[in-house]
Amino acid sequence: MSYFLQLVLSGIVVGSIYALSGLGFVLIYKSSRVLNIAHGQIIAAGAFITYTLTVWGGLPLYLSFFLSMGVTFFLAMSVERIFLRRLIGEPIISVIMVTIGLMSILDGIIYLTPFGGSNFSFPEFFPKTPINLGPVSISWTQLVGVIITFILIGLFSWFFKKSTIGISMRAVSDDQLASMSVGISVPRVFGLAWALAGMSAAAAGGIIGNITGLNFETLHAFGIIVFPVVILGGLDSIVGAVVAGIIMGVIQQFASGYLDGKWGLNGTADVLPYIILLIILLFKPHGLFGTHEIERV
Amino acid sequence: MSANRWLATGNFFSSYREEQRIFATHFDRAVFAVFILALLVWPMCFEVSNKYMLVIDNIMIAMVAIIGLNLVTGFAGLISIGHAAFVGVGAYTLAFIARQMGDSHILITHFWPGMLLLCGLVGALFGGFVGLPALRLKHLYLAIATLSFQMIFQWTINFLPIFNQGQTISIGRVQWFGGEVARSDHYLFWYYVILIVVIMCGLAVRNLLRTRYGRSLVAVRDNDRAADAMGIHPGMTKVFAFALAGFFAGVAGGLHAYLYRGAGIESFTLHQSISYLAMAIVGGLGTLTGSFWGPAAIRLLDLQVENLVEWSARFMPANMNLATALKPLTFGLVIVLFLMFEPRGIANWWRIGRTYVKLWPFRY
Amino acid sequence: MRSRQFWMVPITVALLTVMFAVAPSQAEVYKMALSLAITGPTSDAGNPYAKGVEDYIRYVNDTKLLGEDTVQCPIRDDQYQTDITKRNFEEFLDDGIVFYLNYSTGSTQALKRDFDEEKIPVIPASMDAGNLVDSTYIFLPIASYSSQCIALAEYITKNHKNGTPQVAMFIHPSAFGRGPVDDVRKAVKAGLKMDIVEVVEHGKDLDNTAMLQRLMSKKVRYVICQTVQSPVATLIKDAQRLGLTAKTFGEDGKLTFVGAHYTGGNDLIELAGSAAEGYFWTTSYALTSEPGKGTDFQMMLAKKYNRDEKTANSHNYTNGMMVAQTAVETMRRVKQKGGKVTREALFKELNAMNGDNAYSPGNTVAPVTYSPSDRAGVDSVQIYSVQKGVFRAVGEPFAPEYVEKIKK
Repeated sequence: MSYFLQLVLSGIVVGSIYALSGLGFVLIYKSSRVLNIAHGQIIAAGAFITYTLTVWGGLPLYLSFFLSMGVTFFLAMSVERIFLRRLIGEPIISVIMVTIGLMSILDGIIYLTPFGGSNFSFPEFFPKTPINLGPVSISWTQLVGVIITFILIGLFSWFFKKSTIGISMRAVSDDQLASMSVGISVPRVFGLAWALAGMSAAAAGGIIGNITGLNFETLHAFGIIVFPVVILGGLDSIVGAVVAGIIMGVIQQFASGYLDGKWGLNGTADVLPYIILLIILLFKPHGLFGTHEIERV
Repeated sequence: MSANRWLATGNFFSSYREEQRIFATHFDRAVFAVFILALLVWPMCFEVSNKYMLVIDNIMIAMVAIIGLNLVTGFAGLISIGHAAFVGVGAYTLAFIARQMGDSHILITHFWPGMLLLCGLVGALFGGFVGLPALRLKHLYLAIATLSFQMIFQWTINFLPIFNQGQTISIGRVQWFGGEVARSDHYLFWYYVILIVVIMCGLAVRNLLRTRYGRSLVAVRDNDRAADAMGIHPGMTKVFAFALAGFFAGVAGGLHAYLYRGAGIESFTLHQSISYLAMAIVGGLGTLTGSFWGPAAIRLLDLQVENLVEWSARFMPANMNLATALKPLTFGLVIVLFLMFEPRGIANWWRIGRTYVKLWPFRY
Repeated sequence: MRSRQFWMVPITVALLTVMFAVAPSQAEVYKMALSLAITGPTSDAGNPYAKGVEDYIRYVNDTKLLGEDTVQCPIRDDQYQTDITKRNFEEFLDDGIVFYLNYSTGSTQALKRDFDEEKIPVIPASMDAGNLVDSTYIFLPIASYSSQCIALAEYITKNHKNGTPQVAMFIHPSAFGRGPVDDVRKAVKAGLKMDIVEVVEHGKDLDNTAMLQRLMSKKVRYVICQTVQSPVATLIKDAQRLGLTAKTFGEDGKLTFVGAHYTGGNDLIELAGSAAEGYFWTTSYALTSEPGKGTDFQMMLAKKYNRDEKTANSHNYTNGMMVAQTAVETMRRVKQKGGKVTREALFKELNAMNGDNAYSPGNTVAPVTYSPSDRAGVDSVQIYSVQKGVFRAVGEPFAPEYVEKIKK
């Protein structure tokens, strides 16, 4: 039983990081219908900036954490301004390909820094002892990561629901033409969506970096694993990203906890999300919480 | 139809049949014939190093794959982020047979044209299967479905012992009229084989686009609801497009396995899929010539960057990171710049150039 | 003015004569080449490796180790893609190389037949035992991953108290990780007293708590890791947090982590921090944390060519250096015997590198020995463990016994 509970808890920890990674993805998709394949690279960039500020800049972790969120805010915003603004109204494939191109460019830039070719790890900020909750345990780093994740997600949801900008963002995602006619600047909303996504990516990067250490390959892989998560949740739903992230995390833990080693299976945690992804696409393509699109000729 | 069948400076078509002709003038046909002849003859006139022959072979294999990708992404408008996996299906079909029957089994060494066809058919089967979600899905969702196929393919190859868990499976040398194709002739031999395959694929697609099946692809891309109303089944058309793409990819995979004399998972990863998409875009989506320009441009760019890196390494030997970072950087920049400034790709330059020559000395 | 011009003529003539006299003085250029992943997967290992090779070759040419002759060694990035490796290799062949250095397991096995057909000696960075199967021209720099894992298993059985040790293997989900598992199993069958309780293939896991608990419930005491640093770092971090890491080797009720070549090194300490404490690692290289003659030379080399601290102390830098050293030494020996440096001569010389002819590059724990039946260079391994943030040698280097036993 305690094994089961531990799997669930670990799943929630991993899942909430997926949720945070998926959040940025959803933000961009929600407002501008762009699938950002370069998200993993932005996550990595966020982690590296946090590390640079903390270790080489000598700032306290929480400060550099927020500062790096600020940096990626402007980074992502300028990415949108430079590369994606021109492509408004172009076919989807162009937009996807631009983000793929962007991925390569960011790769190139990161290879210019020391982070491209070697490993780093954050100094340890939290107590090394685990927190034992009955039969299960969780580390301080993980706990703090989960808490930050939920705070951020809460903030973003609040922002979308209540603030004027958030409401205008939702309006844009609903109907661009109509929102333009009521005086909302659609390009500005797009820029802001990217900026917020950049922020959340930096936060995710900071947390992942603290848990796994800084390895470029590991970090940018998160840009791909978020696909099953956001599809399960519904591409345009923040709540969906959270729920699906946690479900996916728990499923992965169950897979490696119960499936691996039986019937000669191994490494199922890596492939199961994609199988689930295919199944969802076949039977419920808009995910758990996504909006159904109705098309007319 | 203009009086002069050799030169036409404008549009003189008077029936749809005429518009559908592959060669508008005799002159076009002659130029094409000379060009093909030149392609067949030049390796006999010049001594080419193995490296460049390999590069050329590799580019042409990519052309076969891109013809397929262009059908599904360019003509039918369905984004495929898993094309390398289809190429891999082809290569692993061959590898599977090699592993089951021995890598120099007579099937592989003597009946290689048949094996290539088989690779294509298996590719088509998988293509059609992966295309099934297209009966329900559209746009982005479909793209993600192909992405997940890519990931599942990689995992499967890496996991199953029958595929040597992703490690290279060797494939024997082929026979050609009694003799084994030796190492010294290997690249030249495959140059001719691949060239013929490329020409066949090019002609096949050119002809396909003249038929109702080809046109229905375009119709579904432009407006699938409207196509539905005209009696085209959009879902089946999409599955058909995927199967076709799978076929070309499979043939490319078989060629790849033969040329490299083995199949290993590294050649069929997500990274390669992205590369293929980039080639299709840079070449020009929805054009046949684009399928030839794209691979050539991207592969040669890669090579040029490598040369630049080597050259620059003489001045800054301690900074290898700087030099190697150029590769993804230029790759990304080329994609982005093309999308921003020439979304119709190199094929568009080709079209402009041709029109200019045709109309010379008149101009717009 | 006139007189100066007059003098110019004999000076020019003299210069030309000198130049022509010097030019054909048999200064030969020996060509070898390296293709590896400087970007892409495993670039964290490939980077220092490339620098090691580059620096040593430069050192050879700068200090005239081969007399007037020079070695040329272009280094190419293949991004861990077999296709590019093949292209690089073909180009190197066109250039007329006599010795080739390769990198990944995948590309080494893909090009195996080409090596045999071209009859060119090759040293890859991959120490996969499968590289040697069906091939004659591939030489591993040090003991294969299989030998390393068997060495670890032997070390465990020797130092374990109270009964049969219960062992789990934590491996990379690829042939690179799976390869040694079978060999360790064979060793167990051949009489090595231990139980392999579970073989875990890791994914991109962020949390291994449950897995560790499962291993604990199965009474596992040792985990043999055969993968790369990053997943090991996550694993041992989790173990540390749960208080499962053994303080001393084989501590009862705790887990002792041991690992093969590519799991360790300073990168692991950088990734895992204090969790790396007490991690046991095996390799055949001497480390800069245990200074000796070989490592002094390494530090000197790194300093001479302005490498940063991290590169200078990386065991992958040692690895690259040692491979280049072996290649150059083979050339030197061929030359010394008055032979022409060709592929055949080098191949013969490499195969004769045993007994009295064994070569000690200085940065390995035992001499490099090759023979037609033994194409793994350094057969002995050294166990290291992390103490106070650096790797310290544990015991003496030894050659695992069961490597020979399972061959039969």
